Amino acid sequence: MSENLVEPMQLNIGPAHPATHGALRFHVDLDGETIKKSRTEIGYLHRAFEKHSEISTWSQIIPYTDRLNYCSSLMNNVGYCKAVEELLQIQIPERAIFIRVIVSELARIMDHLICVGTAAVDLGALTNFWYFFNVREQIYDFTEKLCGARLTTNYTRIGGVMRDLSPGFQDGIKKVLKDLDKAIAQVVGLLERNRIFMDRTQGVGTISKEDAIAYGFTGPCLRATGVPHDLRRAQPYYHYDEFDFEIPVGTMGDAYDRLMVRVEEMRQSSKIVEQALSRIPDGPIISSDARIALPPKEKVYGSIEGLMNHFMLLTDGIKPPKGQVYSATEAANGELGFYIISDGGARPYRIHCRPPCFPIASAFDKMVENSMIADAVAILGGLNIVVGELDR
Amino acid sequence: MPMIELKDIAFIILALITLGSAGGVAFSKKIIYSGFSLLGSLFGVAGLYILLSNDFIAATQLLIYVGGVLILILFAIMLTSKIGDIAVTNKSINWKVAIPIIAGLACFLISSFSGDIWKVADKTPYQSSVSFIGNALLKEFLLPFEVISIVLLCALIGSIVILKREVK
Amino acid sequence: MEKIVSYLVGHCEKLQHLPEDFIYLALQVVAGLLVLMLFVAPFAGIISFVERRIAARVMDRVGPNRVGPQGIFQWLADGVKSLLKEDIIPAQADSVLFRLAPYLVFVGMFAAFVVVPFSSGLIVADLNIGIFYLIAVTSIVVVGIMMSGWASNNKYSLLGGMRSAAQIVSYEIPAGLSILAVVILSGSLSIQSIIKAQGAYPWQWFLFQNPLMPIAFISLFIASLAEGNRTPFDIPEAESELVSGYSTEYSGMRFVFFYFEEWANLYLIAAVSTALFLGGWNLPSAVVSWAQTKGDVLLHLLQFLTFFIKAMVMVFIIIQLRWTLPRVRVDQLMALCWKYLTPIGFVVSLGWQLGWLYFLRECLWSVM
Repeated sequence: MSENLVEPMQLNIGPAHPATHGALRFHVDLDGETIKKSRTEIGYLHRAFEKHSEISTWSQIIPYTDRLNYCSSLMNNVGYCKAVEELLQIQIPERAIFIRVIVSELARIMDHLICVGTAAVDLGALTNFWYFFNVREQIYDFTEKLCGARLTTNYTRIGGVMRDLSPGFQDGIKKVLKDLDKAIAQVVGLLERNRIFMDRTQGVGTISKEDAIAYGFTGPCLRATGVPHDLRRAQPYYHYDEFDFEIPVGTMGDAYDRLMVRVEEMRQSSKIVEQALSRIPDGPIISSDARIALPPKEKVYGSIEGLMNHFMLLTDGIKPPKGQVYSATEAANGELGFYIISDGGARPYRIHCRPPCFPIASAFDKMVENSMIADAVAILGGLNIVVGELDR
Repeated sequence: MPMIELKDIAFIILALITLGSAGGVAFSKKIIYSGFSLLGSLFGVAGLYILLSNDFIAATQLLIYVGGVLILILFAIMLTSKIGDIAVTNKSINWKVAIPIIAGLACFLISSFSGDIWKVADKTPYQSSVSFIGNALLKEFLLPFEVISIVLLCALIGSIVILKREVK
Repeated sequence: MEKIVSYLVGHCEKLQHLPEDFIYLALQVVAGLLVLMLFVAPFAGIISFVERRIAARVMDRVGPNRVGPQGIFQWLADGVKSLLKEDIIPAQADSVLFRLAPYLVFVGMFAAFVVVPFSSGLIVADLNIGIFYLIAVTSIVVVGIMMSGWASNNKYSLLGGMRSAAQIVSYEIPAGLSILAVVILSGSLSIQSIIKAQGAYPWQWFLFQNPLMPIAFISLFIASLAEGNRTPFDIPEAESELVSGYSTEYSGMRFVFFYFEEWANLYLIAAVSTALFLGGWNLPSAVVSWAQTKGDVLLHLLQFLTFFIKAMVMVFIIIQLRWTLPRVRVDQLMALCWKYLTPIGFVVSLGWQLGWLYFLRECLWSVM
C-alpha cells in the first residue's frame, strides 16, 4: 500500500483533556494508535506574568509567583524573593533561611506527591493518588496555619518570611513525615515492582543524557537520565551544602525513572526537613532593614516613625539599585530562574522567569514520536508539565 | 381456516426482521447503515434456526457472524479513511440489470415453492443437536472437518505473512 | 416449568382455553422480566454503590454515605438523577445509531442472564447450549459499543469503540477455550448440567479436578475481565487517554445504560466462574435432604445463597483488582491475549485429556 493513500488521523489531545492537567494542547497525527507526529501548542494559560510584573511593585509580584507552579507555590515565592534579595545585596536572617528551606522542601514533597499520584492516575491506578493526597492534605493543613492559604501561599517577603512557624509546627511536621514515609512505602509497594506499571513506563519516552542536556532539561527529568545535577549541590544556597542528602539519579531516562527519582527525592526532602527543623535557630524572621521590610505592627501603631516607614514602603515601595541579576533555585521540576533587570525604580524594568517545564515540554514532541496514545499519557505524567508555569 | 400457531407468528416476525434488514443492507445510502442492518438480518436467521429446533447452529450463527464477521466488516468500514465525510456512499442503483435478474430469480423461487415437493417433518420431540453434530463431525465427516481446519490455518498463516511484510 | 404450567392450568379455568405454547411463552417473558427487575437491575444499582464504598475503603477515604443510612440509597438517588438529566444528542452525531446503541448493549447483556442459574430450579431457561448461548449472545454488546463509538462522531469515542471491539473479539477465544476445558469434563453445554457434575465440597469442584483446571480458571477470569472492560483491561474507556471512550458523548439515562451493562457484567463474570469452576449452587447431600423435609422454598433459598455468596466473593475480588492495578496498554493487551492466554487455553482445554488418556495412563500402566 503506498503511503499517500493512508492519511493519518488527526487528533487533538487537549486543551481540555484529562491527561494534560491544564490547558495544554497536542495536535497529533495518528496511524492506528501510533503517534506519527505531535505538535505541542502552548499558551492557553498565558497570564502575562512577566509583563504584569513590570507594572507592579517588587512586593506585589510575590502573589503572582504563586500561580506559576501552583503545585509548589511556596518554592516560587522563595525563588523570586531570593532573586530580589540578590539584587538588593542583602542577607536575610538565619531563621528565615531555615524556614525557607523547610517550606521549600515541603513544597517539593507536595509537588512530587501530585506528580507521581496523577501520573499513576493517568496510568489507571487511582488508589496511589489518594494515599499521596492524604499526606498532601496534612501538609496543606500546615501551610494553611503558616500563611492562611493552601494553594496561593504568598508566604515569603523580600528580606524574610511573612510569619513565624506556627506553634506545634515542629512536632506536627515530624508526624506528617512519618505518614509520608508510610504512604511512599504503600505506593512503592503498589507500583515499583508492578508488572503492568513497569511495562507501561519502562522504556517509554526515553531520552538520552546528551539530548536531555541539549534540550535544557533540569530537575528530576534530567536526573532520571543519569546526570546528578542539582542546584542545591551545584550552586549551594541556603546552607544546602551543609545538609546531608543524596541526589537520586536514574539510569534509563524513561518515564519509570522519572517517577522513581521523584519518589526518592521525597524521601531525601523529608530528611532535609528533619535536619532543618533540628538546626533551626531562634531570631528574627525578617530583615530589620527599614528600606526593605515592613516594621512590626506595634511600631506602626505606636510610633510616628513606624507609621511613616510603613506608609512609604507600601506607597513608594522597595527601590533596588540599578542592575541585573539572574538567580536560580532548584524547584520541584528543575531550575526555576528569575532574571531581573532593575532601573532603580519601584517597579522592575523587566522580569524573565525561566520555568523548568518549558524546555521539558519542548522535548515532548520528540519523545512521543512513534509511541502510542497511552504512552503519550504516561510520558506526560512523568514529565510533570505544569501549565501555569509553562505559559506564565 | 387453520388456527395460526405461535410458531407461525414467530416465523413471520423473524422472516420480516430478516428480510427488512436485508433490504436495509441493500438500499441504505450509507455504507455504515448497511453494515449495521446486517445485524438484524443475521439475528433473524439465527431466530429461524431456533424455530427449526437447531439451537447450536443458531448460537453459532450469532457467535461467528455477529461476533466475528459483522465486527470485521464494521472494522473495515470504520477504518476506511474519511468514510464519515461522505454523505452518500451507495449511489448506484442499476434498474436495467437488476429487474431482469430479480424477476428471473423470483420466477424460479415461486415455481419451486409452489411445487408439491415439500415434506412436512414429523413432529419429533425436541432433541439437543450438540451431541449429534459433535458425533457427526468427529466420525462421519472427520476428513472434511480436518480439511477445513487446515484451510483456516493456512488463511491465518497467510494473513500473518502479509501483515508482516507490510510492517517491514 | 411444566409443574407451574400444569398448576396454572389446573387452577385457572380461563387458561384452559389457551394453547399451552402461549402459557409457556408468557411464563418465559414473566420469568425473564422478574429476573431483570428483581435481581439484575437492583443488583447493578447496589453493586455500583458497593463498588464505590469498597473503592473508598481501599483508597483510605469515606465514599458516599449521605443518602440513607451509610448511603445505601445512593444508587437510587443516582438513578433518579440520571433519569431527570437532559438527554443530549450531539448535533453532529448520527442520531438514529446514537439512540439505538445503548439498547443493543443492554439487550446483549441481559439476554445472557436467561441462562444464568440462581438455584437448581431458579433459572429462566436451562438451555441445552447454555454456556455457548451466553458467549454468543454477549457478542451483540460489541456491535452496540461499536455503534455508539461511530455514532458519537467523536474521534475518542471511535477509538474507544474500536479498542473495545478488538478486545472483546480477541478475548472470546481464550475464554472459549477455558470454557471448553470445563465442557469436556462435564460433557454438557448446559450450565445446570455443568453444576450438577460438580459437588458441594471444594475437591469436587472443577477448579481442582485436574492440575490444569486452576490455570483454565485464571485464564477464563482474565479473559472475562477483558471482555467486561474491567481494570486492568479498561482501555476502551480509559479516562486519561480516551476521556471516556465510547460513552464520552452520552448523558443521562443513555449513559447509565452503558454503566448498567458494566455492573451487570460484573455479576455475569462472577456467576459464570462460579457455575463453571466453583461448584455453583451445590450443597452437601445431608443439607439437601434436611432442607427438602422443610420444603422446596428453603432448599432453593439455600442454593441461591450458596451460589450468590460464591459469586459475590468473585465480585469483590474483581472490584479489589480494579482499584489496585494500573491499566495495560492496547498492544500489551493484545499480546497477552494472543501470545499467552490463547496458547495456554489450547493446552488446558485439550492437554489434560490427551496427556492423561493417551500418554500418562499408558506410562503408569506399563510401570505397574
